[in-house]
Amino acid sequence: MASSSHSSNYDIPWVEKYRPSKVADIVGNPDAVSRLQVIARDGNMPNLILAGPPGTGKTTSILALAHELLGPNAKEAVLELNASDDRGIDVVRNKIKMFAQKKVTLPPGQHKIVILDEADSMTSGAQQALRRTMEIYSNSTRFALACNTSSKIIEPIQSRCAIVRFSRLSDQEILGRLMVVVGAEQVPYVPEGLEAIIFTADGDMRQALNNLQATYSGFHFVNQENVFKVCDQPHPLHVKNMVRQVLEGKFDEACSGMKHLYDLGYSPTDIITTLFRIIKNYDMAEYLKLEFMKETGFAHMRICDGVGSYLQLCGLLAKFALARDTARAA
Amino acid sequence: MRKIRDSSLMILSSDEEDDCDYKPNLHRSYTKKPKSRPFITRTNPRQPKKPRVSGSRSRSSRDSPSLFEQVGFPEEDFEELFSGSKVSAGSGTSNVNELWVDKYKPHSLEELAVHKKKVEEVKSWFEERLKTTKGNLINNVVVINGKAGVGKSTTVHVIASHFGARLCEWNTPTPTIWQEHVHNTNTGIQYTSKLDEFVNFIEKTRKYGLIPSSSSEDAKPSIILLIDDLPMTNGRVAFERLQSCLLHLVRSTQLPTAILVSDYDETDSTDHTAQRLEQLRLSLENAGACKVSFNPITINSIKKMLSRICRLEKCSVTDEQLDLIAKACGGDIRHAITSLQLFCVKPDLVLNGSFSTTSYSYRKEDDIDALVRGISLLFGRDETLSLFHALGKFLHNKRETEVANAITPGDAFLVRENFSRLSLKMDAPEKVLCQAHGQARPVTDFLHENVLDFISDEAMDDAWHVSSYLSDSDLLLSSFRGMLARYNEAENVLQSAAASVAVRGVLYGNSHPSPPRWHAIRKPKLWQVEKSMLHKQKEIVRQRFIAYNGSSSSKVSDVATEDMPVLKWLECRASGFEDNQALVHCNKTHDESCDRMSLDDRENDDDDEIEEW
Repeated sequence: MASSSHSSNYDIPWVEKYRPSKVADIVGNPDAVSRLQVIARDGNMPNLILAGPPGTGKTTSILALAHELLGPNAKEAVLELNASDDRGIDVVRNKIKMFAQKKVTLPPGQHKIVILDEADSMTSGAQQALRRTMEIYSNSTRFALACNTSSKIIEPIQSRCAIVRFSRLSDQEILGRLMVVVGAEQVPYVPEGLEAIIFTADGDMRQALNNLQATYSGFHFVNQENVFKVCDQPHPLHVKNMVRQVLEGKFDEACSGMKHLYDLGYSPTDIITTLFRIIKNYDMAEYLKLEFMKETGFAHMRICDGVGSYLQLCGLLAKFALARDTARAA
Repeated sequence: MRKIRDSSLMILSSDEEDDCDYKPNLHRSYTKKPKSRPFITRTNPRQPKKPRVSGSRSRSSRDSPSLFEQVGFPEEDFEELFSGSKVSAGSGTSNVNELWVDKYKPHSLEELAVHKKKVEEVKSWFEERLKTTKGNLINNVVVINGKAGVGKSTTVHVIASHFGARLCEWNTPTPTIWQEHVHNTNTGIQYTSKLDEFVNFIEKTRKYGLIPSSSSEDAKPSIILLIDDLPMTNGRVAFERLQSCLLHLVRSTQLPTAILVSDYDETDSTDHTAQRLEQLRLSLENAGACKVSFNPITINSIKKMLSRICRLEKCSVTDEQLDLIAKACGGDIRHAITSLQLFCVKPDLVLNGSFSTTSYSYRKEDDIDALVRGISLLFGRDETLSLFHALGKFLHNKRETEVANAITPGDAFLVRENFSRLSLKMDAPEKVLCQAHGQARPVTDFLHENVLDFISDEAMDDAWHVSSYLSDSDLLLSSFRGMLARYNEAENVLQSAAASVAVRGVLYGNSHPSPPRWHAIRKPKLWQVEKSMLHKQKEIVRQRFIAYNGSSSSKVSDVATEDMPVLKWLECRASGFEDNQALVHCNKTHDESCDRMSLDDRENDDDDEIEEW
């Protein structure tokens, strides 16, 4: 837009702009990352499968690892394919095999690297074709696969790879990284705004950065209101109030709160997703938490079946109230 | 041994491939080059272009052990020369840039981790074929099946070298790329699909045997043909072609041949490839191929192997950690070794520059140990292992012993006596679960299987609570049955709700945990009936195709209740009559499955129809 100072960088998503280029900079999963760091230094990377939920740094780790390992040769010696590339069996046969046979002069101890992102979306035929390629060229080419669930990779491939599991990032880890970005981009913020971003991201770094950027470019200020406007999720404070009101026995208030949310146009799925997250973190008696979660789950199931009416949501609140009354000391 | 390799029939798909294999280890290429030249020349003059009987270079260099050593020696000298200047190089062994799986490939029968009996079985089978002159044996094909990584191909390789036999492999040829294709069309060479090439190859070897190389030796070494990488088939026609080609091979080949087929878990039985392979294997067996199935490798053998590697690599891994790795790999030794390689990449090596840092690493040992313990839960094919720790926590249900006042919420919402619980002695269950990479379905199944052991015998009410919550969680998961978890936002909530309900239900419900003592956590048997039902059903469907050439319109239930008993009865009558082979044939192989099937299936039939169709 008008701001000419950072117009050149304006178009780059922050996710890309602040993608760590060194393995050491990767946030979270310290065990896995420290190991990759050693591999980046010593070379001789075994075939790897990185498995974990989205936004936890799998792709980043592999890319950083490849670049650190190969240095200036990375351009020639890395083949990256992801789900958006055509990865049918022919590609595996041709592209990957051709790459494996390609001559690249590398210092001893280094290997060409084939990166297959989102490998769980590869057809099993393509994975089958990969199986032998992996073995034959193991002395010149190593494979790194990233996927969400390792069980979707066929067994022969799992057998040829070491599996490294990534788990969701903790709030602190995300916060740390957000602070770095906020500082570098000079984003004006209030702490509650960052808190809101972390809440909406739910352990997903990519989403956190995207939400931050969206909020910034939309409102130029990161506070709670703006974040939830941008992410278009029900404000957790409203939802939290509802839960509190139910616990306090103010059923009518809770219902009108729900009505308010519903009238704002949030889809029942969104409301219930937020509700579930709130309940998960709400400090209440164990029995109540269990019952609330159970009922939320059932309500979610009904909504998934297409019964997403206001009545269902109110019914859910009523069930909460019932559970509360059952448990309350007389 | 050297001779064997020299004469081995190796035609490389392309010269580039060969060169490429050397490229990354330039520093040692000089040792290999002179030796390698002879192989590049095509040793089979009769077939100038195709089919390519390509034994891959890299592979064969691993196969014949003595040669490997031969090549290895000068290389070691070389490295010594180098490392001589840098005096220490404590971890010099780990610098050899090879995967440990390749580096520690077994070279003798004794080193194999496969069960001795199975090795013996395969070995004696080959011995029989190699010793006797051809002609008097009916079947010359052995089908070896087993899960991935149990050492199928390694066994064959080792046995071949044990007998000094030449091992000829079918390797999928390099694919034709478009430019090449265009070039070829100009020169008048027709395009052939990979399946065509495979079929050609099989036909030629079947009819003429493999042509021995030109080098005239006094005694021709015997040949073993190994088919490891079956071509992929898309569609029924291609598959049938492959099948018939292999059937011909089974019936009439003169060479002892090993065909390796990987097994898959039942879980991904929707996968066509797995089904096809299974079908192929059965039909080959029916045609008279000898069958050997390899079991997953036992934990003890894997451990032995791993500790040997550790000794050779001079990396210190405690027994306990080896145990973990061995258990986590699920009988897959290749994966175990790969995991070990990753595992032995210890963060302390970061500090291990060219100068000696032994003292430093000693100091850090405690830290590293803690780190290692954490990491050990990170990998392994068997996701359930890391789950065990979390499950143990949930099942043992450790609580604070007294009421902490701070726990009650500030606004004094008091919970009735029988609904209140002491606070948990662990992190929030969701957090524990997340760290253990627990998926909702296995967690629920495991809890269901094991929770009763942990509830004290008198607490009937507790059991009632727990199972009602578990059933709720099962209901929440019902839409995912038979599906692997997907990371979809909507499903995600359901999944985590189900997991939370299951875990918290167990924690809450089990208010009188039985006194802590040691329990083994069992694998869930909850869905075994369903699984075997599906399996049987597939079997029936397949059989129906064999029996009626796919033209039958009868339902599965009809087959199970009417046709099968009749066939069985017929078989009893017809035993001894070769004429009825068609009938007996399909019956004989599935004899035992029939027995069980007819019982199970009649009961389950109604459900089947709903679920499957």
